[in-house]
Amino acid sequence: MKSSHWSKLSVVLLLAVFPIIVPSDYYRHIFIMALMWVVIGSSWNLLAGYTGQISFGHAAFFGVGAYTAGLCVTKLHISAWWGMLLAGPVSMLVAFLIGCVCFRLRGPYFNLATLAIAEIFRLTAIVWRDLTDGMQGILIMRTFRNKAYYYYLALILAAACIYAIYRVMRSKWGYYFVAIREDQDAAESMGISAFRYKTFSLLISSFFTGLAGAFYMNYMGFIDPEVVFSLYFISIMAILVAIIGGAGTIWGPAVGAFIMVLLQETFRSSFFGIFPKWVSEAHALAFGLLVIFVIRYMTNGIVGDWVKVQRLWSKNKEQPLASTGS
Amino acid sequence: MKRTAIIPVALLFSLGMFISPVLAQEAVRVGVILPVTGEKAKFGEIEKKSFEMALEEINAAGGINGKKLEFLFEDDTGRPDVARSAAEKLITKDKVVMLGGGYGSSETFAVANVAQESGMPFLVATGSDNKITAQKWEYIFRINPPVSDYPKGLESFLTEVVKPQTAAILYENTNFGSSGQKEFQQTCDRLGIKVVMSEGYQSGGMDFKPLLVNVKKANPDLMYLISYVMDASLLMKQSMELRLTPKIFVGGGAGYTLPEFQKNAGKASDAVFSATLWYQTLPYPGAKEYFDKFGKKFGIETEYHGAEGYASAYVIADALKRAKSMKQDDVREALAATDMMTVFGPVKFIAYDKMTNQNKLPTYVVQWLDGKLELVWPKEVASKPYFYPVDWEKVWK
Amino acid sequence: MDVFIQTLVSGILIGGIYALVGLGMTLIMGVMRIINLAHGQLMMVAMYITFVLYEFLHIDPYFSLLVSMPALFLVGVLIQKYLLNPLLRIESIIPQNQILMTVGVAMVLTEVMRFIFHSDYKSVKTPYSSAVLYISSIAFNFPMLIAFGIAMILTAGLFFFLLKTDTGKSVRATAQNKDAALLLGVNAEWITQLTYGLGAALAAAAGTLLLPIYYLYPDVGGQFTLKAFVITVLGGLGSTVGAIMGGLVLGVAESLGATYISMALKDAVGMVIFVLVLVFMPGGLKTLTKV
Repeated sequence: MKSSHWSKLSVVLLLAVFPIIVPSDYYRHIFIMALMWVVIGSSWNLLAGYTGQISFGHAAFFGVGAYTAGLCVTKLHISAWWGMLLAGPVSMLVAFLIGCVCFRLRGPYFNLATLAIAEIFRLTAIVWRDLTDGMQGILIMRTFRNKAYYYYLALILAAACIYAIYRVMRSKWGYYFVAIREDQDAAESMGISAFRYKTFSLLISSFFTGLAGAFYMNYMGFIDPEVVFSLYFISIMAILVAIIGGAGTIWGPAVGAFIMVLLQETFRSSFFGIFPKWVSEAHALAFGLLVIFVIRYMTNGIVGDWVKVQRLWSKNKEQPLASTGS
Repeated sequence: MKRTAIIPVALLFSLGMFISPVLAQEAVRVGVILPVTGEKAKFGEIEKKSFEMALEEINAAGGINGKKLEFLFEDDTGRPDVARSAAEKLITKDKVVMLGGGYGSSETFAVANVAQESGMPFLVATGSDNKITAQKWEYIFRINPPVSDYPKGLESFLTEVVKPQTAAILYENTNFGSSGQKEFQQTCDRLGIKVVMSEGYQSGGMDFKPLLVNVKKANPDLMYLISYVMDASLLMKQSMELRLTPKIFVGGGAGYTLPEFQKNAGKASDAVFSATLWYQTLPYPGAKEYFDKFGKKFGIETEYHGAEGYASAYVIADALKRAKSMKQDDVREALAATDMMTVFGPVKFIAYDKMTNQNKLPTYVVQWLDGKLELVWPKEVASKPYFYPVDWEKVWK
Repeated sequence: MDVFIQTLVSGILIGGIYALVGLGMTLIMGVMRIINLAHGQLMMVAMYITFVLYEFLHIDPYFSLLVSMPALFLVGVLIQKYLLNPLLRIESIIPQNQILMTVGVAMVLTEVMRFIFHSDYKSVKTPYSSAVLYISSIAFNFPMLIAFGIAMILTAGLFFFLLKTDTGKSVRATAQNKDAALLLGVNAEWITQLTYGLGAALAAAAGTLLLPIYYLYPDVGGQFTLKAFVITVLGGLGSTVGAIMGGLVLGVAESLGATYISMALKDAVGMVIFVLVLVFMPGGLKTLTKV
């Protein structure tokens, strides 16, 4: 379909030249964060949307990645950029261990186990001050003053992540993941080792999430356990990004990431200063209402339920010729 | 067709991006970052009100060489990452000429880092961790004493009056708490006081009894506590419940000097000492007037945090008046040359103890007596004599 | 020895309140098989109701129970009816939509309260807030004792309801096997609403009882939600006796951990127990008692 290709291309082009047209650091920052969330949301989506393992503890990988980069500076006295190389493997190792513990559990037990493990990481990071400096956090001087560099790095990460997931899902592994999601026991009985493929999915997912964490350390220059291991701001945010955008779709999390970040900032700044100050205080409220609305009426997310969204537009313009179903 | 509807919406967003800078800017704008919401909101409230009160007075007296002074307040919600984003927004989007505020040490440090990177002058009002001014960051100035100076006023009180042999330190596991603990530990080592127990805790706890039970077992002469307000109240209330009776309770400022502490802890706050950085009866011009005016205007009592905010507003105005231009380096130069008297005390930025651009002031000791906070040490400036030794059974009846 | 007993006492008393929180959640989990991530927030709303009643009408928190519990019951029923039940009918890729809906509800509840009351800390100071009962040098905090007592009464009431009344039996039937219950004429939809309402009411009780002891701010709910499901899993999903045991075990474990290991690790104790139980004893404590 030509039009869908065109719109996708124009979006990509727009993203590519964004820092050039918009020199404001403030708006670059918003887009950088959105791109970072594309990575985290897509990674989560691979494990949860495609493989059906709903993790409530993705913050564990993000935090591990961030601290890997941070500790490079405080303990190894090398640049945090090395962290970008190390974060992936370290997260995968951690993920593997977590998988060994959690993959024997199903449904709500699995959800809660991942949540608890991420919380244990958070509490450990707070208490093990010799390693992490606890709540004082890790602060580094940033390498680049110009945000454009970070923007392009984030863009590359996001593109790489989505491409990797796309290739994986088109391969045999993709089929196995979905099979496990649909019915793990049936898949097992057909010879698909659930543990093995769930682990593969988890490894890829944690790799990119860890990478995002290391990126965060390099870009923001400051982390502490509350920020990078946060249940609400990282784990649950990842879930919402993927769900609102559309779980189980390639572009869903990307769309969700941009919507969530842009919406949050739009509200926080009272629509960029157009509306009175109290609107900014309601940003979290708007967020919550959006979550309720989307889950109630567009359960498969914006991309997943794109047909519904389209029909919403068309209702304003023309009467549908015939109702073809729900 | 429906997809093209997205285009006008996108345009609307992009429009928003360019509209805001066009808004008129005849005023001189300074960004002030404080915790308006969150755990430290009470402090943020007192400081914000103090900044606002000072702003009114400054503008009524002609502003900055005829131009109006404006404070753009940003809420850091008590989180350093939010503080950082707030600082970046003030610098890049609102294009302020300098920054002020900074309550929590972690938040202040995060803001200072951003400010230094951008060459934006930042006058710290409250953040007390030593390292904020120990990085040789020339754009960062601090009006208040660092946490290592907090117990200085206390030292003579301890050596002359209390003479404790042992001490226990309880502190919150944050920048403020940990640095406070480290400094007090050093003070104890210097004074020959044995620290029998030193433990950190997570703020927001419900039940401190397990911790306090251990303190009771260790039986120290002196208990030094570093907390923000809600933990302070619970710690004292639960110490009272357990009948934990060292010779003396001393708070390390922050939560222990707020009126909230007395309101929440009630009887348990009686006879508790605290280090403090300021008191309204100190011989600084305008100190008492500030205290009275604040009380009348807002109906609540102010204390040292408010004074820090109020004084730093005046220092900011003074520097901006003297600055050759509103360019960042000129403002910085003017700030560095500050030499004035404020309600908080004299302000002159010097280098000492590995810090730079730091104002040096003495500290004092206050005590809660009959539900009111009184300055008790040094004797020369005391508003009421100190109450020691304390018969806790009588106080806690 | 004194230290040990004092610690134990602290733990048990707090455990009573924890049990109440856990009870609500285990009911919801047992019947609807969803994790109610809004549980702590329901508690928080009840705390605000209690606060307002105390500040403006001077009603003692223990009497506020008569208001906060029914109020939250109603809120719970409405949430289940309009937000959660509809999700059951929708086919979606991720079956855990209900959990995420509760996340949305939690957010909205928190933010609405923040909007109305702002983020500063509120507390109620009753004349007995710091009253202590002494039994040979062991201090029993008075409000906590009362909270424990009331929690036990409510628990007994719940047991009676579940075991002896018809509605209660319908709840248990629905929890055991929803389809079978439907076949036997149980109005499953109404039962799910009732159960959520009941769970919310229990959370409300915990909140109201907690206010004299702790303080209140819009984000206070999160930590209790976490504790609630540690208790639920510890006790066994759907087991009321398990929730009580779980609450007490968590309270005591936290207390002992704080005293003998380190105060800073108190919260981690709960999480570690949680993971250990999940891995080694997934059925929870109830597998030990068969209730």
